[in-house]
Amino acid sequence: MTERARVLVWRLAILVVLLAAWEWLTGLPAVSKLPGLYWLDPFFVSRPSTIVQRFVYLASRKVRLSIWAMALSTVQTTLAGFLVGVSTGFAAGLVLGRNDRLARVLEPYIIAFNSLPRIALVPLITMIFGFGLLAKIVLAWSIVFFIVFFNTFQGARTVDPDLIHSARFLGASERQIMRTVIVPSALAWTFASLTPSISFALIGVVVGEFLGGESGGGLGYLIIQSLGTLNAADMMVALVALGVIGIVMALGIKQIETRLLRWRPEYRKSV
Amino acid sequence: MRDVSFEVHAAEFVAIVGPSGCGKSTILNMIGGLVAPSAGTLELDGRPVTGVPPKVGYVFQKDTVFPWRTVARNIGLGLEYRGVTGVERARRVREGIRLSGLEGFEDAFPATLSGGMRQRVALMRTLVVDPEILLMDEPFGALDTHTKLGLHAELLSLWEARHQTVVFVTHDLSEAITLADRVVVMTRRPGRIKLVYDVKLPRPRDVITLRETDEYAREYGQLWHALGEEFGASMSGHPRSEPGSRSPL
Repeated sequence: MTERARVLVWRLAILVVLLAAWEWLTGLPAVSKLPGLYWLDPFFVSRPSTIVQRFVYLASRKVRLSIWAMALSTVQTTLAGFLVGVSTGFAAGLVLGRNDRLARVLEPYIIAFNSLPRIALVPLITMIFGFGLLAKIVLAWSIVFFIVFFNTFQGARTVDPDLIHSARFLGASERQIMRTVIVPSALAWTFASLTPSISFALIGVVVGEFLGGESGGGLGYLIIQSLGTLNAADMMVALVALGVIGIVMALGIKQIETRLLRWRPEYRKSV
Repeated sequence: MRDVSFEVHAAEFVAIVGPSGCGKSTILNMIGGLVAPSAGTLELDGRPVTGVPPKVGYVFQKDTVFPWRTVARNIGLGLEYRGVTGVERARRVREGIRLSGLEGFEDAFPATLSGGMRQRVALMRTLVVDPEILLMDEPFGALDTHTKLGLHAELLSLWEARHQTVVFVTHDLSEAITLADRVVVMTRRPGRIKLVYDVKLPRPRDVITLRETDEYAREYGQLWHALGEEFGASMSGHPRSEPGSRSPL
């Protein structure tokens, strides 16, 4: 057996054992009577078999708002917030990274705004933008923007001055220097911020969906609705779906990053 | 640096040697318009230098090949900046790749190349836009002797074809003698000109056999003597490049 296969078998074994334990323990009423283990009850944590049943039901046409529609809404909103956040964060990082005075002037404001827990802004954002799509995008943006901004800013500041000089000796105009030296240098830093960014965009969107109600739907809505109806199985379905979405999006970003940064030695092996 | 004054003629190959910290590189940066002199003037074709002059190419000691561009796109950089496009750019890039012996590496990223190959890319990237003046700041300083000699031969053959005006900064005396028509010797800090020496070796020069000739040994001996006290025992590369010693090739 190769090392790869062995690792895979172990991973699978852990999954099977955990699911089996979950299914078995929640099927024994005596377990939840033990002190401190009250939560090992289908009421709180549901059971794998029930979760699968609920998933099949939520994925069917029998429901008004299917799990697919909710997942799609969450994915779309996340991607929208991510794209807006990345593009504005990148632009701002580039401008401030190449303009020392502006960066110094704005520094305290940027730090102050970034230190504010973004969750605290949710009610305000809701007041301004309502319960719809826009509010969720704004929330995701407010998180992603700063992650991308700080990375790009750092990247734009640390461009090797000798590369800029070389370009100048080869006849580059200021615009050409920006396009062929500063942007590519900064991009290497920006890419490093994309994987955390997509995860934080998802957090922002789900929190927005907690408040957003049925308009716009989304998996966050399913979670909060399940809390209202004390339906642990539906909540678990939403959590698993969010986990899968998070992994798939992070892997997708990683693919793009590897492709675009193939000039870097540390990415070469994986191409 | 103090009282530094010399002229470089068109199509001349001038080397500046001196101990580290004497201001060799600063002279080059002034000619290139990167640094303004605190006193005195610097003229190019009779006009004072302000900012990076056109027609000047600069090869840095540090690796300044753009890592995110392939070899071909690095060499085409200057043409791209000057708006040379399409067939003409492709032709000149191909020519540059041939001249630098980098065929087969057109689409390679610099990270996969050796230091010598990267410096070849940097040199060709500068030459492909046909500068009249070439400023070189210890361009081969980070390379091993073997690679260095290969690049000396290449630089000389390229220079024989075009006769750019070259100002070449180095701390390697044998490198200066091999390449230059004139050697400007600087003193220790504060750097002054100690000596301007005409290298009386015929051209074209063969970088390998040149080192075995009596003329080379004589030139080396004279220069070595003149600046022995400036370099002291710190003269880098000295034991290996002593006159008469066989080249490692």
